[in-house]
Amino acid sequence: MAAIVSVKDAVKNYTLGKVVVPALRGISLEVRGGEFLSIAGPSGSGKTTLLNLIGCVDTPTSGTVEVAGKDTRQLSERALTDLRLHTIGFIFQSFNLVSVLSVLQNIELPLLLQRELGTADRRKRVMTLLERVGIREYASHRPSELSGGQRQRVAIARALVARPQLVLADEPTANLDSVTGQNILDLMKELNRTEGTTFIFSTHDQKVMANASSIVRLADGKFVDRISPRDAGVHPASAPA
Amino acid sequence: MAQRRLSAWIDTFGVVAQIAFRNLFASRLKTIIVGGIIFFGALLVVAGNSLLDSLDASMSRSVIGSVAGHIQVYSDKSKDGLEVMGSMTMGDQDLTPLDDFAKVRQTLMTVPNVKAVVPMGISGALVTSGNTIDLALGKLRDAYRKRLAGGLSAPESAMLDRQIEAEKGHVRQIVVLLQGDLKNLKAVADARAISADDAEAVNRAASEAFWAGFDKDPLGSLEFLENRIATQAADADLLFIRYVGTDLDSFGKAFDRMQIVDGTAVPAGKRGFLFSKFVYEDQLKLKSAHRLDQIKDSRDGRGSLIAKDLDLQRLVRENVAQVREVMLQLDALKTADFRAKLQKELGSTNADVGALLASFFDTDDQSFDRRYAFFYRELAPALELYRIRIGDTLTIKAFTRSGYVQSVNLHVYGTFQFQGLEKSTLAGALNLMDLVSFRELYGFMTADKLREIEQLQKAAGAHEVSRENAEAELFGTKQTKDDTEVKPADKGGAKAGAQPHGKHVVADATPGVSPEIPELAAGLGQRLRREDLVDRVYAPGETQRGVVLNAAVILKDPKLIPQTMKAIEDAGKRDGLPLKAISWQKASGIIGQFIMLARIVLYVAILIIFVIALVIINNALVMATLERVKEIGTLRAIGAQRRFILAMLVIEAMVVGLIFGAIGAGVGAVLVAIVGKIGVPAKSDIWFFFFSGPRLHPFLGTTNLIVAFVAVLLVSAFSSFYPAWLAMRVTPRQAMSEEE
Repeated sequence: MAAIVSVKDAVKNYTLGKVVVPALRGISLEVRGGEFLSIAGPSGSGKTTLLNLIGCVDTPTSGTVEVAGKDTRQLSERALTDLRLHTIGFIFQSFNLVSVLSVLQNIELPLLLQRELGTADRRKRVMTLLERVGIREYASHRPSELSGGQRQRVAIARALVARPQLVLADEPTANLDSVTGQNILDLMKELNRTEGTTFIFSTHDQKVMANASSIVRLADGKFVDRISPRDAGVHPASAPA
Repeated sequence: MAQRRLSAWIDTFGVVAQIAFRNLFASRLKTIIVGGIIFFGALLVVAGNSLLDSLDASMSRSVIGSVAGHIQVYSDKSKDGLEVMGSMTMGDQDLTPLDDFAKVRQTLMTVPNVKAVVPMGISGALVTSGNTIDLALGKLRDAYRKRLAGGLSAPESAMLDRQIEAEKGHVRQIVVLLQGDLKNLKAVADARAISADDAEAVNRAASEAFWAGFDKDPLGSLEFLENRIATQAADADLLFIRYVGTDLDSFGKAFDRMQIVDGTAVPAGKRGFLFSKFVYEDQLKLKSAHRLDQIKDSRDGRGSLIAKDLDLQRLVRENVAQVREVMLQLDALKTADFRAKLQKELGSTNADVGALLASFFDTDDQSFDRRYAFFYRELAPALELYRIRIGDTLTIKAFTRSGYVQSVNLHVYGTFQFQGLEKSTLAGALNLMDLVSFRELYGFMTADKLREIEQLQKAAGAHEVSRENAEAELFGTKQTKDDTEVKPADKGGAKAGAQPHGKHVVADATPGVSPEIPELAAGLGQRLRREDLVDRVYAPGETQRGVVLNAAVILKDPKLIPQTMKAIEDAGKRDGLPLKAISWQKASGIIGQFIMLARIVLYVAILIIFVIALVIINNALVMATLERVKEIGTLRAIGAQRRFILAMLVIEAMVVGLIFGAIGAGVGAVLVAIVGKIGVPAKSDIWFFFFSGPRLHPFLGTTNLIVAFVAVLLVSAFSSFYPAWLAMRVTPRQAMSEEE
């Protein structure tokens, strides 16, 4: 399968006052469609920055980031937003649901922004996904009425509802207990397998990395290596007792 | 496809609105505070403006309908501006007269929007009203004259005797009152302040000896009373009255709210005077009776109570303290009559009528209605209730512009009022007079006076003397050719020539009568004054020719005041007339500006409220934006464009603005409707004028609703600009940050 993400010599510097802080110091990476990729590394290694570049939330200072064949540096702000809307789904560490909307409305949001489907089609798509993530009965609840795991399921449904080619998840299990976290990863994996959606998630948790098809390790904003979970010496947690 | 896109648009808007609504609901307190301010602002816009609009409308009805008309026209050469409602000063404004009203009228009528033009001159003068003792002495003198003339039958003579005794009793009564006054004065004032002569005269008039010897020299005794006593009993005072000299006929037609209350209108073409009902009641009515009327009005009309209202208590006190005015009217018979009636009514045995009257007037809420009815039923028929009666001749003395005192006798035909403005001091301040009399009092040379002078000159053989040959004229050296102009024999005119007297009379420009020419005194001069002028009927339009000070213009379409003012001034320029046109607001001076002032205050208040609203809403939205940075970042990350965020915030502000604004405007409208139904009562006389009646019924103007809507919309929009700008700068990256 062709590369859905192609990062070449990406450098990202942030300016804090007069000080230039390098976050990424030249990273190259290719992600093919259907991968279940983990970006690993300690805090400050540049995981989030890399995800931001891939997620078209940010553009590199130098080098190129291509997403779905488009060079993000060449795109306008509006075009980047459009690219996010149609190609990428986001899962956040702290779920980031709109607190005043119901579960159903939260999931429906990307479809509404796309303005492509009628009400009935949207509802059907949302309900199917709710079923898939297992929280159908909570459709009319507010996020504040749900547990952390349930909220992340809503977030996953929202990320997938517009059928993006790529889903980015920034530490998706960091705010969850290990059992719930594993359930969430299992769900993501299943969707990766059945829908063929490419997942890229960042984590510093060894157990979480073990679920990935391959692991990209970062340190100090630099690419370390790209390995399989087996090589990293981690094993997928198989339903702990 | 297009339909689907449209429905998707609507759905997106739905979500945006829903987010907005739910956010508002989530932060209820903030919403209520912000909404409350908007609510109050909208309420104020609607209710305040409606109230002012109605006040404006009713007041303009009052001003326009009573004297001003829509536009006032006067000479642009005038030094002062015209103020028809009277300036704060008593004096007249310095207005340059318009020489020929007929021409002015002709010019004004060429302006298409002009419906009617009413000539006017506004001025004021002093009027002396009758003095009780003068009247009594006058009647006594007439009776004595009749007796002296003789030739009466026995019953006639007996009746005359009774009348004389009754009048004498009345005058004695007055003298006794004066003596009492003098005693009181001694008790409170320094003895030196009291003229010894006056005191002596009163004591003499009160003495038995004076009255015993009265009939020996009745006319001499009367003269003593007139010269020495009447002057001290000054119950009559000088009255300053303001009047409009106008063409009474066209005035009545143009100001159709005018109605005759007592008497009749001045017959067409005649000279005459109409009192404003308000002035007639307020200034000319017996004070005690007027105070009773005022108490009744206040109790019946406004539900006031003597027990609670300080003004009413003051009126009662004044009535108790000032029974003298009534007492002065009582002769012996009436005194006895009043004593009997009051003793019975009050269940008192007190023989002092003054004390009885005082206790009669000392009323409270329980006794008032009964006493009021009793007063008018039993006492009033024996009293002169008005100092000047309808049908009397009124002598008006005025200072002319050149400083002479000019006086005119005018028949009082009746009283008038403006419908709805019955209680208004302002609308009732002006009395009406015919234009010819006004011109005379103001010092203009009228055609009548010119003729009168001409006839007098002819009759007296008088002629104008120029300064150069004054000496020759006066001392008889006939040297100049001017002498040929002396006309010893008139063609028509008076039979009495100047020749018998053997000398010329140097032109006497004042219309007074020379005592040296008795024929003239008896004939021409008085005849001209008395018969010709008072009874003369002027042809329609005749009074309109000549000088006026200003003119009221009534319009066909009152909405076009500014345009018509311009058209009038243009027409004046075209016809060579120095016309200046001012709106009724300006012509009514400070009264017309009252509404403007109130409106400015209201607008400032509304502005302040909306500025506060703007600041608070802005602040609240900024807070909300900062609280929601993560949410906004998330929305941006999942693909919401900046305009979506903008719409979300603006809608949020608009929703608060419109919902609370609508409720505020609605409550305001309901309030106006309720108050409009009940009416705001006029608390005092001046409000009758502003309200154009006893109650103001505010009405809702749709403009006010629109103004409120636009104001709320603008405030909402402006207050969301800055927070929206902040929100649009939120980047999707901010959704990722984890510093919570």
